[in-house]
Amino acid sequence: MDDLTEMLKGTLEGCVLHIIDSEETYGYAITRRLNELGFADVVEGTVYTILLRLEKNGLVQVTKRPSGVGPPRKFYALNDAGREELVKFWAKWEYLSSRIDKLKEGGR
Amino acid sequence: MNFWETITGSDLTREWKAFEARAEALPADHRAAWEQIKVHLSPYSDFTGRNLMPILDGALGLLEETAADGQSIQEVLGDDVQGFCAALAGGEGARSYRDRWREQLNRNVARKLGQLGG
Repeated sequence: MDDLTEMLKGTLEGCVLHIIDSEETYGYAITRRLNELGFADVVEGTVYTILLRLEKNGLVQVTKRPSGVGPPRKFYALNDAGREELVKFWAKWEYLSSRIDKLKEGGR
Repeated sequence: MNFWETITGSDLTREWKAFEARAEALPADHRAAWEQIKVHLSPYSDFTGRNLMPILDGALGLLEETAADGQSIQEVLGDDVQGFCAALAGGEGARSYRDRWREQLNRNVARKLGQLGG
């Protein structure tokens, strides 16, 4: 689907939180997961900037692990603040999607 | 950082040299992206450019990591290097009117959620 990126932008941070919540993971794997889901336009750079933001906001715990090739990889896991943020994200998402569904069904 | 380095910026020169040495080792397309990133980040620089150093270090790290993975630069940055740089610099003096709109919308939704007891 084209032109999904703009719409996705605001929710991508929540998606990344959710992916990290299920297991400790790194940028490339998160990007692949999103691509598999059908978000083909999401590139690693996008995920990287989101991870930076999560780190800055103190929502993730970062561990550097050596990788077979190249520089060490950064692995991300959620901390308590991150899990709290994820709960909030799903609450906001419920709110937003229920309102938009309502609009589509012609209710008010 | 000591006084001499603060005044002369000699530490920055040293860091730049280290960056460029790392960039030299990248494959051609990643090196081209590095040049682009430097250009697009420069508007977010402070007077000395010191604020950009950790950001550039991270971006270079991303390029190194993805090059080692064998990813193409298209897979890493897509076609919006400028957007990537704006997001990298984010917050630090890079706030656009759209950020403010987004914030306002978020605030309003949060208020509504509060009213609903959600």
